Amino acid sequence: MNAEQTASEDKIVTTVCNSHCGGICDFKVHVRDGKIIRIEAVPEEDGRPGMCLRGHAYRQRVYSPDRLLHPLKRTGPRGSGEFARISWDEALETVAGEMQRIKAAYGNASMLHFCSMCDPHVLHHVLAFHSLLCGFGGYTAPWGYISCEGNAFAEGVTFGKSSRIGYTPHKPDEYQEARLIVMWGWNPATTEMGSGVSLSLARAREKGARIVAVDPRYTDSAAAFASQWIPIRPGTDAAAMLAMAYVIIDENLQDRHFIDEHTHGFDKFKEYVLGREDGVAKTPRWAEPITGVQAETLADLAREYAREKPALLGSSFGPGRSAYGEQYHRMAAALETITGNLRLDRYAPKPKDFRFLPPFPFQPNPVEKEAPLRWNAIPSRGPSVNSSARVNVSSFANAILEGKAGGYPADYKFLWLSNTNYLNQLGNINKAVKAFKKLEFILVTEQFMTATAKFADIVLPVCTFLERCDLMPPLNVFSSKRRNFTVLSKAIEPLGESRSQLAICQALAVKLGISGYPDQSDEELVRQMVAMVSANEKLKTEGTPKKEPAASTKPQLRTPSGKIELSSGIAEKMNHPDIPAVPKYIETWESLNDPLAAAYPLQLISPHFKRRAHSQFDNLPWLRELQPQAVSINSRDAEARGITEEDMVRVFNDRGEVRIPARVTERIMPGVVALPQGAWYTPDENGIDHGGSANVLTRSITSPGGALPSHTALVQVERV
Amino acid sequence: MQLGLYIDQNRCMGCFACIVACKDWHDVPAGPASWIRLKIMEKGAYPDLLVAFLPTACWHCESPECVSVCPAEAIAKRDEDGIVTVDRDVCLGRDDCGACLEACPYDAPQFGAEENAKMQKCDLCVDRWAQAKKPVCVSSCPVQALDAGPMDELRAKYGDVREAEGFTCLAPLAPSVRFKPKENAASLDLRRIDVFPRSG
Ligand code: SF4
Ligand code: SF4
Ligand code: SF4
Repeated sequence: MNAEQTASEDKIVTTVCNSHCGGICDFKVHVRDGKIIRIEAVPEEDGRPGMCLRGHAYRQRVYSPDRLLHPLKRTGPRGSGEFARISWDEALETVAGEMQRIKAAYGNASMLHFCSMCDPHVLHHVLAFHSLLCGFGGYTAPWGYISCEGNAFAEGVTFGKSSRIGYTPHKPDEYQEARLIVMWGWNPATTEMGSGVSLSLARAREKGARIVAVDPRYTDSAAAFASQWIPIRPGTDAAAMLAMAYVIIDENLQDRHFIDEHTHGFDKFKEYVLGREDGVAKTPRWAEPITGVQAETLADLAREYAREKPALLGSSFGPGRSAYGEQYHRMAAALETITGNLRLDRYAPKPKDFRFLPPFPFQPNPVEKEAPLRWNAIPSRGPSVNSSARVNVSSFANAILEGKAGGYPADYKFLWLSNTNYLNQLGNINKAVKAFKKLEFILVTEQFMTATAKFADIVLPVCTFLERCDLMPPLNVFSSKRRNFTVLSKAIEPLGESRSQLAICQALAVKLGISGYPDQSDEELVRQMVAMVSANEKLKTEGTPKKEPAASTKPQLRTPSGKIELSSGIAEKMNHPDIPAVPKYIETWESLNDPLAAAYPLQLISPHFKRRAHSQFDNLPWLRELQPQAVSINSRDAEARGITEEDMVRVFNDRGEVRIPARVTERIMPGVVALPQGAWYTPDENGIDHGGSANVLTRSITSPGGALPSHTALVQVERV
Repeated sequence: MQLGLYIDQNRCMGCFACIVACKDWHDVPAGPASWIRLKIMEKGAYPDLLVAFLPTACWHCESPECVSVCPAEAIAKRDEDGIVTVDRDVCLGRDDCGACLEACPYDAPQFGAEENAKMQKCDLCVDRWAQAKKPVCVSSCPVQALDAGPMDELRAKYGDVREAEGFTCLAPLAPSVRFKPKENAASLDLRRIDVFPRSG
């Protein structure tokens, strides 16, 4: 007997957590008498455990007293949280009846469905809903990665494809070789917990790499890894990077050979940088008053980044979640490119990993069929995401409120949110509340009574991933992880009357009379998928596979020129002043120069918080006691307002007000305040939020390239 | 033999994985008791800052003050590995006694919120050693900032540094912990210390 079996009679179930945090962490779940008693990390190849504090707290999530265990119907006004328990049959009848009524009265385009990445495995995820709704005649889907559309846009116009949708794309060896690492708005100690990035950074530092943090906050990554902190004003990263490009070009430090061989449009970019296009040379002196970073500091960093090879620029999705956030990502790509620090193998064709499709009848969304492409479509996002029938995530409240009259593709009457706290996680919550109140029917499928679920007419209880079966495909986007298919076993039976996402779709398919929807259990479907995978594997080894590109290091760029485009043909064709052909600094709305700054002089950012994955896990006691929700404010700004540590303050602007304790700290630059995103909106009768939800204060608007501008908002802070 | 811990303070990034892993493994609810906490020290002033993290538990002292003061002999030091354990059935409780809490300079004894709570604390995962596993804080640290083992092995592997930012070695107790202390921490003034979860 091995040690694990001697320990007890426990059953050990292995599965994979994937809580929309970017991690995909192996779980060893200890089960005794049908109950989870603890969850243990499983070491990766390098011995490092891939699991974070949230994973370790997952047992508390499963058995939380707040879990929704029965279908509910609303009995009070929307948002009141007043519900009554009903049977599954009544709930499903009501939902199906409303769906049919609304479809008949307003058409399929009036039905919005948004699906989150709560636990994005295969069976219980977006395809299950998509397939059901397409079988029903179609629906309106959103477009825009909430996390990283700015990056997707920048990569699409610069390289013609995207090298990353999850973690930063650097391979472990890149950190070990690097002599300089710049963490630009990048805080992996908090945001990439399940990955090996932090360990790689620790090792790089020990090997002598110099690590610099450019960030409005002295983050935990800066504390652990960096030897220099350069505070920078939110929304001005592209200006700082342009100043670096200026120094590099002016002092002839660029990598000529790399530029000649791999790029298109360097001269046009150079004209803009040197000021020949618009009469403004983008010098460090020009950038200093914009960014708040001293000119010499920027010039030194530019020289070091160009000379110390290899140097790694760790850009992050965070700064891209701002107005014109796509320009930051484009500039980061430009800096990597002109210095020859860009690893082109990032864009080499990857061996195809998705060797199977989940067994759903696949069909294009009928609502998107006739629609032309939207004006800011980028080919790398594919025809469906580029369809003008879709609604950008950042502006969905506007779409509901304004509909066709406001230029949106349809008038929206029905909203189905599956495991997503959209009300909480997108801009301008108070506006979204109005939008939610305007709808005819809202269905929410959820684990908890979130701020969003409180607005539903019917809430259907969904089980956690430990209560169902699935299959996890290999994902090579996550640099060092997950090379194989993993069967996610069910650890325990679903709690109460909760059901899996798939089981809910199956039940609705029956009620709606949709034929051809798979009706097998998830166990059975997983068995079928595993058989399909092994058949494909066999085919491959026997040499008669489906065509798969051989792994290669030769980049394949899908830009018009086939090269890295420092002046983008795709962007140029859009012919829009806010989507310039070359990456530019465009001053954001609600910058410190905005007249609004007289009343609201502080820039609000809403960074990630360790104890939450977006709005998930906010309600768990083990996690809550580790990080109190508070607004961080520099001691100078606090003093000027008579605010001391833990004072209750009001953070407000024209869009709303949050009451929350202050955290007075040196770890944030003066003029900037930070309210960690994801706290659950908890309004009082006057609409003042006491939960500390940052999106009460943000705007519901889209950056021209599609980025969610959640780090662009001016506020004032006062003692209550 | 004496088992103990090693902490590389330059690696710790304050991620809390060890804290929650410990709570889950030992089934410690949220609240005043926590077998391990994270101390966060902020030094300097904007923009010249340094922040150091330090996980703190029980240090299984070679001469444990808690053992000497306990009138009920509820706390014992094991001969075989030097782990200091507590027998909760024998403990008199915080309200009726609480002597260990007074005596331990490292705030290691923990008490739940209940009336006359019995003492609990880090036992260096006695049960895991029995399964040939290191303590759960060690195996859950994503940056491998922690190690555990016989003190002579830890000394041979990592050296004999006994102090770190936020930790003072009280020689008479001989706490069983060695460090790689935070670099460049000396030059800046300590500004604030936070401990999470907050105690009491
Ligand atoms: S990082 Fe944490 S929440 Fe994310 S998958 Fe890993 S264990 Fe789960
Ligand atoms: S740290 Fe405190 S509780 Fe632990 S052995 Fe030493 S004196 Fe006792
Ligand atoms: S798990 Fe490791 S890095 Fe995280 S707080 Fe504990 S010791 Fe520090």
